[in-house]
Amino acid sequence: MVEFAGHLPGLAAAEVEWRMLDFAAWGESVQVSVPVLSEAQALALAARVRENARSYLKTLSVAQIVVTIDKAVARLLDRDDPLRQKLEAILPIVTGYDRETVRLGLSGYLRTFRAPQLQRFLTEDFANPGMLDAFQPAIKGGFTRAYGPELLLHIWAGNVPGLPLWSMISGLLVKAGTIGKVASGEPLLAGWFAQILAEIDPKLGECLAIVWWKGGDEASERIWLGEADTIVAYGGNDALAAIRNRVPITARFLPHGHKIGFGLVSGAVLDTRNAGPLARLVAHDVMRYEQQGCYSPQMLFVERGGKVSPREFAALVSGELASFARTHPRRALSVAEAAGVAAWRSAEEMRAFDETGRAVLGDAGDPWSVVCVEAAEGLAPSGLNRTLKIVAVDSLDAVVPLVASHRAFLQSVAVAAAPEELFRVAALLGEAGVTRICACGRMTAPEAGWHNDGRFNLLDLVTITEIEQSAELAAEGFAPYVD
Amino acid sequence: MQGIRPTMRAFGKAWLDVTEAQIIEALLAFIDRGEATEAAFEEMALAVFAYQFAHNQPYRRFAIQRGRTTLTVRNWRDIPAVPITAFKDLTLSCTPPEQVERVFMTSGTTQGGVRGKSYHPTLAVWDRSMLVNFRQRFMQGRDRIAMGILFPDEEAMPNSSLAHYLSLAKRECGSADSEGFIGPDGLDLGRLIAGLERAETSGEPFALLGASYSFVHLLDALAAAGRRFALPEGSRILDTGGFKGQSREMGADAFYDALSAALGVPRRACINMYGMTELSTQFYDDGNAFCPPVKSGPHWIRSRVVDPVTGRDVPEGTTGVLAHHDLAHFNCVSAILTEDAGIMVDAGFKLLGRVDGADSKGCSLAVAEFLKAARG
Amino acid sequence: MKFRDRTILVTGASRGIGAAIAKAFAAEGGLVIVNYRRSEAAALAVVETCRAAGGQALAIAADVTVAAEVEAMVARIAQEAGRLDVVVNNAFAPYVFDADNRARFWETPWSAYQAQVDGALKATYNVCQAVLPLMRQRGRGSIVNMATDLVARPSIAYHDYTTGKAALIGFSRNLATELGPLGIRVNCVAPGLVWPTDASRGTREAVKDMLIAQTPLGRIATPEDVTGPVLFLACDWSGFVTGQTLHVDGGLVMS
Repeated sequence: MVEFAGHLPGLAAAEVEWRMLDFAAWGESVQVSVPVLSEAQALALAARVRENARSYLKTLSVAQIVVTIDKAVARLLDRDDPLRQKLEAILPIVTGYDRETVRLGLSGYLRTFRAPQLQRFLTEDFANPGMLDAFQPAIKGGFTRAYGPELLLHIWAGNVPGLPLWSMISGLLVKAGTIGKVASGEPLLAGWFAQILAEIDPKLGECLAIVWWKGGDEASERIWLGEADTIVAYGGNDALAAIRNRVPITARFLPHGHKIGFGLVSGAVLDTRNAGPLARLVAHDVMRYEQQGCYSPQMLFVERGGKVSPREFAALVSGELASFARTHPRRALSVAEAAGVAAWRSAEEMRAFDETGRAVLGDAGDPWSVVCVEAAEGLAPSGLNRTLKIVAVDSLDAVVPLVASHRAFLQSVAVAAAPEELFRVAALLGEAGVTRICACGRMTAPEAGWHNDGRFNLLDLVTITEIEQSAELAAEGFAPYVD
Repeated sequence: MQGIRPTMRAFGKAWLDVTEAQIIEALLAFIDRGEATEAAFEEMALAVFAYQFAHNQPYRRFAIQRGRTTLTVRNWRDIPAVPITAFKDLTLSCTPPEQVERVFMTSGTTQGGVRGKSYHPTLAVWDRSMLVNFRQRFMQGRDRIAMGILFPDEEAMPNSSLAHYLSLAKRECGSADSEGFIGPDGLDLGRLIAGLERAETSGEPFALLGASYSFVHLLDALAAAGRRFALPEGSRILDTGGFKGQSREMGADAFYDALSAALGVPRRACINMYGMTELSTQFYDDGNAFCPPVKSGPHWIRSRVVDPVTGRDVPEGTTGVLAHHDLAHFNCVSAILTEDAGIMVDAGFKLLGRVDGADSKGCSLAVAEFLKAARG
Repeated sequence: MKFRDRTILVTGASRGIGAAIAKAFAAEGGLVIVNYRRSEAAALAVVETCRAAGGQALAIAADVTVAAEVEAMVARIAQEAGRLDVVVNNAFAPYVFDADNRARFWETPWSAYQAQVDGALKATYNVCQAVLPLMRQRGRGSIVNMATDLVARPSIAYHDYTTGKAALIGFSRNLATELGPLGIRVNCVAPGLVWPTDASRGTREAVKDMLIAQTPLGRIATPEDVTGPVLFLACDWSGFVTGQTLHVDGGLVMS
């Protein structure tokens, strides 16, 4: 089975060099052909997308763009649609995530991009989204209009299915000519989405391109970075730093680094009725996407004093992960990943020998791992791939100093607490740099209009053009109908 | 093993009575026996495990945590392999550590300066293991050879197992004119060039042994000096340990091509030794004409390639993590899980480099990046 | 070798059904802890049988009705084996099954009930409490409690004995509910009359004939008949089965 990645308006497949990426999982394999463009092709494609966006995309109203995206998303949500079926069949092989995780994850994720949700995106960032279409009166006087980039370059990373859609759709909503660079870990979805858009509105399809180059390939990167006026990039800090060094000083660079998520559970909620279902939700967050998402939890702070102790809660979470191991088997790990998991677990085992307050649950060979520690411990990554450390704390307030020094890596936190405590702790977490607080079980499914990394998805992309009141008033003086 | 075999059964309680002296005697005899069947290896391995389980308390706790005890372990592959980081975190010694003759330590380059320690109540087993194997795999029938050592000597680095290894090689297998070329000020290039010149004209085979990174320094120095040598037929090179950030990194092919070109020693005579502080036995290849070559060890060490999570052997031909079972490492633990990727092949294994903690496949923060950020 | 790398505690394993169960686990490669109260020689013989069958075994004395003795036994298991995967609560209070001279209800003192509740339930309670930390640590385990088909069908009214076993079944179901989320399964095996065992040796032919006549499979259970269902419930073939009572009586009881 060979699938083609990318979306290259104006370029015939035969003109392009293709490289084969091999994927295998769940007993099946698939080859994905990714395009390798020459410098001339890249430059021509950039020019073409920029020009088409100028002459067409920027003439559309936001409402029209929303309708087109909504239609495309509807197709991907339709389980009878051939492309949706192809996604469900192939993404598990490409990413290694189990079929159910891919199916449920895709549906849940895509639901955040239907028309009403897209309206939410728009209103989250623009008091009056009409300013993307025309000058709108400003409260301070005068008029303002928002313009998206001429050429917006997305550099995506990682293999969590669908993640590229977030920034890609954001770019389209602000009418940016769009170039997306897919990650080798999941090169397909973005291109296919672009092709659906092109089927629905062929001219819109000419306003975006999906390309590939090998991550870190400096020569290719420089070509594209030189063409874009805005760059959204995902990846580890080393990779982002390397990109930033090559970004022209005149371009806007919007990096999204790796993040570490965690959870807080108030002792007050841990009674024998709540504990079981809550443990399941926690385990769900850990299981979904094998903790590869920036929003995935890697640590859980559990307050003492509830009817169910942190240690007992840890056993419940471990039990739920055992169940998920059957219903949503863990993705096959590379040797390096397996070594990472084993190293994390065995390091915890070693420490457990000298500490009575440390328990490593389950068997070393289990496809998940839960560690419970009684002494306060600072936030740190787990071994990923369903490994979680549960830290007992005397109060949720005590968590703040344990996470505060990692401000640059904070993003999502799940909180299980009564309203008063939720808001009190949320204030402390926000101060520490946390940008998203959600319920347990929802960590991997941010709601529509989420401000990724606490930034404005759309607003960060645009520039505002203001007609100051003076110009407006002066213009009155030049009007032919002036008295 | 004669005489103590019945008491060294892993089952039952008799192993408690086995003394260090008996274990040492049995191991020396085992090394000298020339070969060992799977069954003979297993018998010795179970006995050594029983000894370590009885006398090495941290290892005992580790084994119990893994559900592997003298009651549950029934063949040598059941014996739980300790991750080598444990040598940093735990005191793994059957003898009280303050009573041992020698402590070998890792360089501490990989884990923020913390050094893994191996305790040796005697070096008798270590030395016998090294020499029997070295003679067979490197000396290849020669009694002695003129050696140049590219590593500090044992006096300079008393806790380095490599320094001891090379000192032992020089003392036991080097001819009288063998010498070390790394002093307090590093590589003594002048003296080394003189040595190489002498070797070149003598017509007698010459052996150059040392850390891989020292060879890189040598190559760079020779290139800078515009010098090349054609060492006599039968000359050989032994490098070990990789570059460890002590020199520039070189690919294996480039490295051996360069060595071969600079010193006139064919790649098939460039032998790479794979050893670890956490072992008492070394592995060798039969030259590096092709990379990666097959590595193998003597009959008292066996290697497996395992899934690091389950600890179970991966199917032959599949990449996994190397685990070694070195009977000679009797005082610490014999079964260790390395951080090296490998693949089992006929007659040994291929070493495929370190398995570092993987980066996240997605956008979550992984340990490596976190640690890097924490170090600043 | 279904139980290779598994450790199994069988209480009351020095003879009868317990000994047969121990041997069956050993034959599947398991490490069997042969618990006994007094009959050390018999227990050591079972250990030998287990080793001969291809498994490994260790005899530990403990009166399962005494909590402290049970705790000491489990502590030793933790040291010797490092893990405990399966517990078979097989020990029971001495009881004479005499259909001819059984005590009728109005002849049965409360103390007789108490003795059977202690023998069946308290012993199981002690063992389950003691092994729980080991099983919870690993997040897995299977507990198999030996009941009787008399609970479902009191062919002969052994009031005290059957009531004790009935309590055990209720106990097991609650335990199954509590421990399921922790990955630990709890089930009962309920044999009919098993012959020959020390307890059933005196059973008259007439009683056996009566039972045989009503048993679809047309015979009385042997100790070996009981081992299969116990091993089934102990291994992952029954990984999605908990809180059940498996009747092993040739179809006498169908439920």
